[in-house]
Amino acid sequence: MVLPLLIGVVFVTFMLVRVGGLDPVGLLAGPTATAEEFTMIRKDLGLDQPLWKQFLIYGGQVIQGDLGESWLSNRPVLEDITTRSFISLELLFWGIGLGAAIGIPVGLRAAFKPNRRFDQVTRIISLLGFSIPTYWLGLVMLFVFFYLLGWAPPGMGRISLMVSPPEFVTGSYLIDGLIEANWEAAHSALTHLILPVLCLAIVSAAPIIKQTRAIALEVIASDTVRYARACGLKIKTLRAIVFRNSATPIITFVGTEITGLVGTMSLIEYVFAWGGLGQYGLNAIVRGDFTAVQGYVLTLALFSVLIFLIVDIVVAIIEPRSQLN
Amino acid sequence: MNLLKITDLQTHFVFHDIDNYRREARALNKVNLNLNRGEILGIVGETGAGKSLTAQSICGLLRPPAKVVGGSVLFLGKELLSLAEEDLNDIRGAEIGMVVQNPKSSLDPLTRIGDQLVRIHQTHTASAVSVARSKAIAMMHAVGIPDPEKRFSAWPHELSGGMAQRVLIAMALMNEPKLLIADEPTTGLDVTVQAQILELLKDLVRRFEMGTIIITHDLGIVAHYCDKVAVMFAGEIVEYGTVTDIFRRPGHPYTKQLLASTPEKLKLNEAGSLGGQPPDLFNLPEGCLSQDRCSLASDQCRTPPPVITLETGQTVRCHFALQ
Amino acid sequence: MPPSVTHQFTWPRRTANRVRGLSRLSPTAAAGVVIIVCFGVLALFSEWFMTHDPVSSYPNRILQGPSFEHWFGTDGNGMDIFSRVIYGAKFGFGIAIPAVIIAVLIGIPVGLIAGYRGGALDEILMRIFDGLRVFPSIILALAVVAATGQSLLNVVLVLGFLDSPVFARLVRAEVLALRSSNFVESAIAAGNPTWRILFFHLLPNTIQGAMAQTAVRAAWAVRISATLAFLGIGIQAPTPEWGAMIRQGAEFMVTGQWWVAIFPGIALIFLVFGLNLLGDGIQDILDPRRRASK
Repeated sequence: MVLPLLIGVVFVTFMLVRVGGLDPVGLLAGPTATAEEFTMIRKDLGLDQPLWKQFLIYGGQVIQGDLGESWLSNRPVLEDITTRSFISLELLFWGIGLGAAIGIPVGLRAAFKPNRRFDQVTRIISLLGFSIPTYWLGLVMLFVFFYLLGWAPPGMGRISLMVSPPEFVTGSYLIDGLIEANWEAAHSALTHLILPVLCLAIVSAAPIIKQTRAIALEVIASDTVRYARACGLKIKTLRAIVFRNSATPIITFVGTEITGLVGTMSLIEYVFAWGGLGQYGLNAIVRGDFTAVQGYVLTLALFSVLIFLIVDIVVAIIEPRSQLN
Repeated sequence: MNLLKITDLQTHFVFHDIDNYRREARALNKVNLNLNRGEILGIVGETGAGKSLTAQSICGLLRPPAKVVGGSVLFLGKELLSLAEEDLNDIRGAEIGMVVQNPKSSLDPLTRIGDQLVRIHQTHTASAVSVARSKAIAMMHAVGIPDPEKRFSAWPHELSGGMAQRVLIAMALMNEPKLLIADEPTTGLDVTVQAQILELLKDLVRRFEMGTIIITHDLGIVAHYCDKVAVMFAGEIVEYGTVTDIFRRPGHPYTKQLLASTPEKLKLNEAGSLGGQPPDLFNLPEGCLSQDRCSLASDQCRTPPPVITLETGQTVRCHFALQ
Repeated sequence: MPPSVTHQFTWPRRTANRVRGLSRLSPTAAAGVVIIVCFGVLALFSEWFMTHDPVSSYPNRILQGPSFEHWFGTDGNGMDIFSRVIYGAKFGFGIAIPAVIIAVLIGIPVGLIAGYRGGALDEILMRIFDGLRVFPSIILALAVVAATGQSLLNVVLVLGFLDSPVFARLVRAEVLALRSSNFVESAIAAGNPTWRILFFHLLPNTIQGAMAQTAVRAAWAVRISATLAFLGIGIQAPTPEWGAMIRQGAEFMVTGQWWVAIFPGIALIFLVFGLNLLGDGIQDILDPRRRASK
């Protein structure tokens, strides 16, 4: 079931770039190229073949791990992507982690006391969270915490230019710095992490709050909880029942959120010059580096598929009703 | 003292629908019931007659938009309708046991059934877990679950419908309730299983001297297992008395219709109705609620019928009861 | 429960009734409508509200803070930000409304047909939609717009197209539920041609959920078009579109000229917020359990 999905993903990525009016040859060749140079470049890129052949060639290359070369960086796209993926993963991890850590408890609390003041305030705030553009939020935070208050470092990169990064163990400057006992690096990494993570957390908390509340409300209205009340179980026990029965849909939802969050994360990377996959990909799109765009979109899609798989596995483990058990 | 005395219970649906009209429906209208220890009362009627609502109103388990708007429910002299949720919680599952419909969707799917039995016991009594566990196994044995030691760690979804129903009964009985309310305890089960469960119930009721309310749309069950019966229609009790009296000489046209239409098996059809539309609670006729289907209906029926007590002691809500 | 819905052609009247009850039933929806109407007025009648011409620059007044002359200050080209923000409302509506209309016009018929016909067509369509879901929507929109050429029309088309699966899926689910119902069967038995069944019988009863989504999708369209402009795709520099204005203001944020990026952002937030309020309010109305208790 996953295989056709993967093929489809590769296909869409492939078509994405060839669909429109972008002419990579023109971009590569520059304005002064002659007709011969055009044909040469075209041949070089394999663009003189019929479309279906190109697709097969591309598919074959992907399987072998060859994602082509970025004409911007003149390096293999695969290399560009792998180095940056860990960087983005760190941001994503902290961001969604914080977002879920805030969002789920708030959503649950709102569901337990629906339509009282906490709930109504929370709903408005979470709707606001839906409406704030992440990049704008990042800019405002930079303005307030860097320019006005001087608490945060300038939004450039993951570590201060004057601090040397720690040895590569996990790819996270913060963790590696701590492992190494390199307090300076760890501290710098932490201060640089705070603002982008906060932005990501705020934006991801909003939908999580809303959905958690909806899920919990449904569980509360279910036969199971009703019967539990008929048994005279204590409120604490009822809450635990609601929580456990909401877990699966909430986890599934967070998984879907993550796949969407990657896009938002890319924007934040762009604003904070994070140097991760997102910034790389956005730059590639904007500047028409089409091999890099292909690689970027492909990676994102594969990541999403992976997340869905992980969610399925987790759910299968915790649910006694699943086939596994 | 009565175990349960319900007086003039009134429950309404109140809500604003999409067209912003305030809609109020009389879901239960002046329901009066009496129950003593060791008695089995059957509440019978079509789907939508208000049987389950009565049970839910007693225990404070109504779902919005349903609300109790009047009347009194005295359980061992205590007024249940004015109790706070915590106090009601203490009574539910302990002194009042409920067996609900849909056993498979009511059991907590994420807890093993043995643990659920222990849980309901621990909630209401301070005893050791081992004591609760042995009691649970004994109870599972009593309700006829084979191999209780092994089944103790089963998940709810692994059980069949009949097995799940037995678990619900076991759960209701764990704390030796004085009142047992069983809402459609055998719907959806096949005939042999039905008979087993009902025999079991009857036996347990005698043993523990519980007052029991069985809610059903199956007249056969009422005939074979109940001592008293209340016939409900459109939220009202139209006839109430002992099973022997009412089955021998039904006083209300609707009761007569019920008994006549189902000769041998005394069973209402699949959907639990005699056919025809269930009454629209928001557009009830003036006066007697069953006038639309009653052969005896006349102009007099446009005034609310009185509740007449016949010589046998049964009560009938009809103008023509004495005929 | 209300009297059973008679599935005749009464849905225009019913909808009108519901609209009347809207504001009393859901304050969120009412608040949302108020906000949207305000912006709508600004968009339609911007000439009345603007203090200056949105695209003329005052070269000797670059990067001035808010003042009596320029209420929101001036930007890097010396243009008045207040007027530009007001004018930008046109883009918000001008992109979101057509995009949602396109999405509805594509999505609803597709959903109706897929749900009704079923079979291979349905399977394929659903697989395609599922496949698309794997890509983060922002990136997908970005990539496609960037690839297909950067004009306003393209942005609208792409957004409308990418949004249609949402509507298709909703309508399809409702159609599936109703397909085997009595009244559809009797309509078929009465010899109605398929297109009539689809549009006169099924359509009115299945679009409720989809209609509730229009506000939410419009909010999304406004957000994404601003994001595109922020990245410099689809809308070029001197155009007074909010996203583009934020883009220009980004470099000035860290040097202290906050007004260039903050005001367009606030306008954007409010419009999207209003649309989300409306969408949330509509959901409240349609699903009685979520309504605020009386």
